[in-house]
Amino acid sequence: MFSAFFVAWCQLTYNKVKLAVAAAGVVVAVMLMLVQLGIRQGAMDNSVAVARRVTADLVIVSPRTKTIFASAQFPRRLLYRVGSDPNVLAISEMYMGQGRLRNPWNKLEFPVSLYGVDPNAGMMKLPGIERFTEELNDIDRLLYDGMSRTNYGPIKQYLAENGSIDVEVNLRKVRLIDSIDVGISINTDGNLFTSHVNFLRLFPDRKPGSVDLGMIRLRPGADVQAVRASLRQYVGTEAKVLTREELVAAEIVFIRENAPIDFIFGMGAAVGFFIGFVVVYQILYTEVTNHLPQYATMKAMGFSDRYLLQVVLSQSVILALLGYLPGFVLALGLYRVATKAIQMQFSMTVERAVFVFVLTIVMCGLSAMIAIRKVRTADPADVF
Amino acid sequence: MVDDAHNSTAPTGIAMAKATPAISARHVNFAFGEGDLQKQILFDINMEVGTGEIVLLTGPSGSGKTTLLTLIGALRKVRDGELDVLSHHLHDASLEELVEVRRDIGFIFQQHNLLPFLTARQNVQLMFHLHPEVSPDDASRLTVELLTSVGLGHRLDYYPARLSGGQKQRVAIARALAANPKLILADEPTAALDSQSGRDVVNLLQELARGRGCPILMVTHDPRILDVADRIINMEDGRVHPGEK
Repeated sequence: MFSAFFVAWCQLTYNKVKLAVAAAGVVVAVMLMLVQLGIRQGAMDNSVAVARRVTADLVIVSPRTKTIFASAQFPRRLLYRVGSDPNVLAISEMYMGQGRLRNPWNKLEFPVSLYGVDPNAGMMKLPGIERFTEELNDIDRLLYDGMSRTNYGPIKQYLAENGSIDVEVNLRKVRLIDSIDVGISINTDGNLFTSHVNFLRLFPDRKPGSVDLGMIRLRPGADVQAVRASLRQYVGTEAKVLTREELVAAEIVFIRENAPIDFIFGMGAAVGFFIGFVVVYQILYTEVTNHLPQYATMKAMGFSDRYLLQVVLSQSVILALLGYLPGFVLALGLYRVATKAIQMQFSMTVERAVFVFVLTIVMCGLSAMIAIRKVRTADPADVF
Repeated sequence: MVDDAHNSTAPTGIAMAKATPAISARHVNFAFGEGDLQKQILFDINMEVGTGEIVLLTGPSGSGKTTLLTLIGALRKVRDGELDVLSHHLHDASLEELVEVRRDIGFIFQQHNLLPFLTARQNVQLMFHLHPEVSPDDASRLTVELLTSVGLGHRLDYYPARLSGGQKQRVAIARALAANPKLILADEPTAALDSQSGRDVVNLLQELARGRGCPILMVTHDPRILDVADRIINMEDGRVHPGEK
């Protein structure tokens, strides 16, 4: 009837200002944790977006390369070789390179990633690229990634309104014929997609026989691991055969090792946790200290230590709940702001929401555990 | 001196029940500290308080009154001698049993020690948490009755900060009586009050205790309230001097 939770609630809400300060501390902590972890996840997701778009069953990459963004090439003849395996249904190669796209409005050049693909191969999820199969084979026709940064000017809007735009890529005049939405990353500001031939026109130094990524479609029902093992014998030491999942995993490892995403944002989240911990601890500790004579009186009347510990723990849970909801809403707002400002997609996931909620409870619980030690020092014999 | 203390257990004042006394101390010694730093506070205390008796404990400060009260209140462990309170042998009780005994005792302190974030009503009602056998409805009803009987029926939902010193002490008395205690221990309940509120508080205590047949052991310096006592025990230098009224 008069549960510890009710007493905790009365104690916290008695002084509204103090409660607001305490809750604000938790709000800041929750928000920091959600935003930092969200940006970390977003940066990671965006960075492997291209690798995730590969739908081929197996891929072939150069053994010299660690990421497809800075790939070394391998000989195309290896792909023709693996095509002789009865389980291989189709093969397709992709060229990749870093070029420079000149902003048609301010005439400044910005780096851009270029992909030479077979639009019809269906080994990569590039939404709507099939529609442009014919056109991309015409000379100097390219597709623009609608999610590119605004460095290049309002190309997407221009395309939507006028159908096409002539721009300069690698000092060559080309025509962008439409935009498709793919996504950029911390490695690249924008993407251009085109056919093999047009790619090679933009990179005169590149030889058609050196490709960046080989994609293999297997016969339905083929054992991916078994085929991979046999394909390894075809390519020998000149290339590596990976599954689609391994390609993504390798990208993630590469980004982890080469960009301090985990460290920077992980530390941000840890700082948030620490702020919340200190604020909640301070509040609970002063509450306990200020009410020590009353707590001692309650003990003298026959309330157990356990009851008083429940009161303090309940307070920490209330603070966690009061702080989490506003923190969550604020974080959603900041995701929007970040999505606009950084021009990468950031979104809330259920896993993260739950994870941070658990962290918040742990944070408040830990503070309570430490503040609780003070309760034990309340000696009922001292009340007299 | 020791023999006198023994004699003081003879029934005086109102008729005492023949049953076991509420408090019975035999050869209780108590000391703070260990070894060389040990300081003995209580020397061979022998006393009894019978059912329904109001006993005042007086004596100069430092005479050990409060220490004796904390021992009887099961707030300290008895290490030497035998102390029975409400039929519990406190000298060999576990902490759980001590907490159990405390629940049957109504404490009234020099400071009211009400929880500042609970209203008068909630402060009293809180006590029923220790007595789940009382239904919530009964608890609410008893709370209002108690506060009304101490003259605070019109201040039920006031926070302690908005009550006067005497009113706070009266809430504390209502709280002490809430759980239907079998013994009331009070430590200078009038010390922080002016003479009129002090008098009111003591009269109230006396009236309520008489009505319930509940014994009271009260430590006091206050000569104005000595008349409520059935018996006065005088302490000096950690020893009991019998007093009579």
